[in-house]
Amino acid sequence: MAQAWVLGQRALREAWRTPEALIPTLFIPLFFLVVNVGQAAKIFPGETTDFLHGQGYGAFQLPSSLLLAASFGTAALFLVEDIEGGYFDKLRAAPIARTSLVLGRLVAEVAKGVLIATLIVILAMIFGISIASGVLGFVLLVALTALWAAVYTGFMQLIALKTRSAAATNSGSLIFFPLLFLTPNFVPRDLLTRPMEIAATFNPVTYLMEALRSLILEDLNWAKIWPGFLVVAVTGAIMLAFNVRTIQRYD
Amino acid sequence: MSSPNSAAIHAEGLIKHYDDVEAVRGVDLRVEAGEIFGFLGPNGAGKSTTVRMLTTLLTITAGRAEVAGVDVGREPDEARKRIGVALQEAGLDPRQTGRELLVLQGRLFGLTPAEATERAKALLELVELEDAADRLIKGYSGGMKRRLDLASALVHEPDVLFLDEPTTGLDPASRLTIWDEMRRINERGTTVFLTTQYLEEADQLCDRLAIIDGGVIVREGTPRDLKDELRERQGLDRDPTLDDVFLDATGRTRSRVAGDVQEVS
Repeated sequence: MAQAWVLGQRALREAWRTPEALIPTLFIPLFFLVVNVGQAAKIFPGETTDFLHGQGYGAFQLPSSLLLAASFGTAALFLVEDIEGGYFDKLRAAPIARTSLVLGRLVAEVAKGVLIATLIVILAMIFGISIASGVLGFVLLVALTALWAAVYTGFMQLIALKTRSAAATNSGSLIFFPLLFLTPNFVPRDLLTRPMEIAATFNPVTYLMEALRSLILEDLNWAKIWPGFLVVAVTGAIMLAFNVRTIQRYD
Repeated sequence: MSSPNSAAIHAEGLIKHYDDVEAVRGVDLRVEAGEIFGFLGPNGAGKSTTVRMLTTLLTITAGRAEVAGVDVGREPDEARKRIGVALQEAGLDPRQTGRELLVLQGRLFGLTPAEATERAKALLELVELEDAADRLIKGYSGGMKRRLDLASALVHEPDVLFLDEPTTGLDPASRLTIWDEMRRINERGTTVFLTTQYLEEADQLCDRLAIIDGGVIVREGTPRDLKDELRERQGLDRDPTLDDVFLDATGRTRSRVAGDVQEVS
């Protein structure tokens, strides 16, 4: 883990020195939050819409923005640069655990995820959204977003290791859009049409979104929170296993 | 395998296949500790593939290799502790400073933060990059990058240093600086395995060399012995150059001579 942390620090320096790669991660999710609220807030007024629990529609949309922010995966593009520039070989020639090579960037991704999620939630709070689950809920909200950022980046990293191509890796980030829109993105699951409801039920991102949403709209509701963390744990384990296998066979 | 104990590198029957392509077709090598060993060959001959197998970066299809007494296939991590690697196209992170890169490299080789910092300072001095140490690498010239890459390969004081075309693309002054560094490193007891396309470089630096072509070793010996062998075999009345040895070994001919530039086909 010490080696992963050393590599993580390097990845954080890299992010700090490339703000142009980080800024869209903050700006674009906020843009979508404003646009989605602008389009649907009148349809779902806070005072008369039960599923909003007394808040505005922005509170309902905030999880989508957090998940979008967590799904940029720019770290995987930096990995492609390392591969193309030969630095990845330099790291592979060092006597370090192959898992550290995978985990290094993911450790940094968690730290970046914490920063971005905190900023988005604080901005949302400034504009009147409250976190109904309190301080612990705030921490869980940020933690779940940051952990998902690491998991998603891990899958992008897998594409980078397999293809060694910036174009292919970049396309990987687009996979998130169908996953995001096959969720109860605009209304709760029970208001979706039957085919959409079935699709959303099989989509793991749904449980992340519902966990995040419950933390914003309700008091701590563990029945909705734990499935979100379970999704992160299961997909994270799969992602790590595939990454380690790929890096061990990397020629 | 015949007594590999005193050898810094000992490879036997090294083979690498990529799907249907046989990049290396049975390489036998023995490099003694303390040598500067040159590994020459035309483009695509299997030089870099061989180096990448010896440095644990490529899996070996068949055969085996020991570097610094360690089987690279069976104990890759142990081998990695004993070898330094500077590959083609200096593999550096442009967003770090020279000092940060060396400290990180030291940490990955198990040094404490204080030891890594101290080692980075000494290496920056060795490759004369103290003044640029805290600048981002993306602002370095080609020669500076090569010297930093060399320094990063030395951070753990390896027994064997692999340099894959370390002077390709450098201006003559930078090339001479790298040559000096190589000699200095070798004088301190490090075995150097050098691949190069510059025959003059091999002639100047190497105690012994091997020429690979089509994935197999076609000549091996000291530069002097290889030239003498060619002169005697062809009955030449002049001393052949290493260029002549290379052309003879690889079955190529001078197809065009333009000023100082000699192209071979």
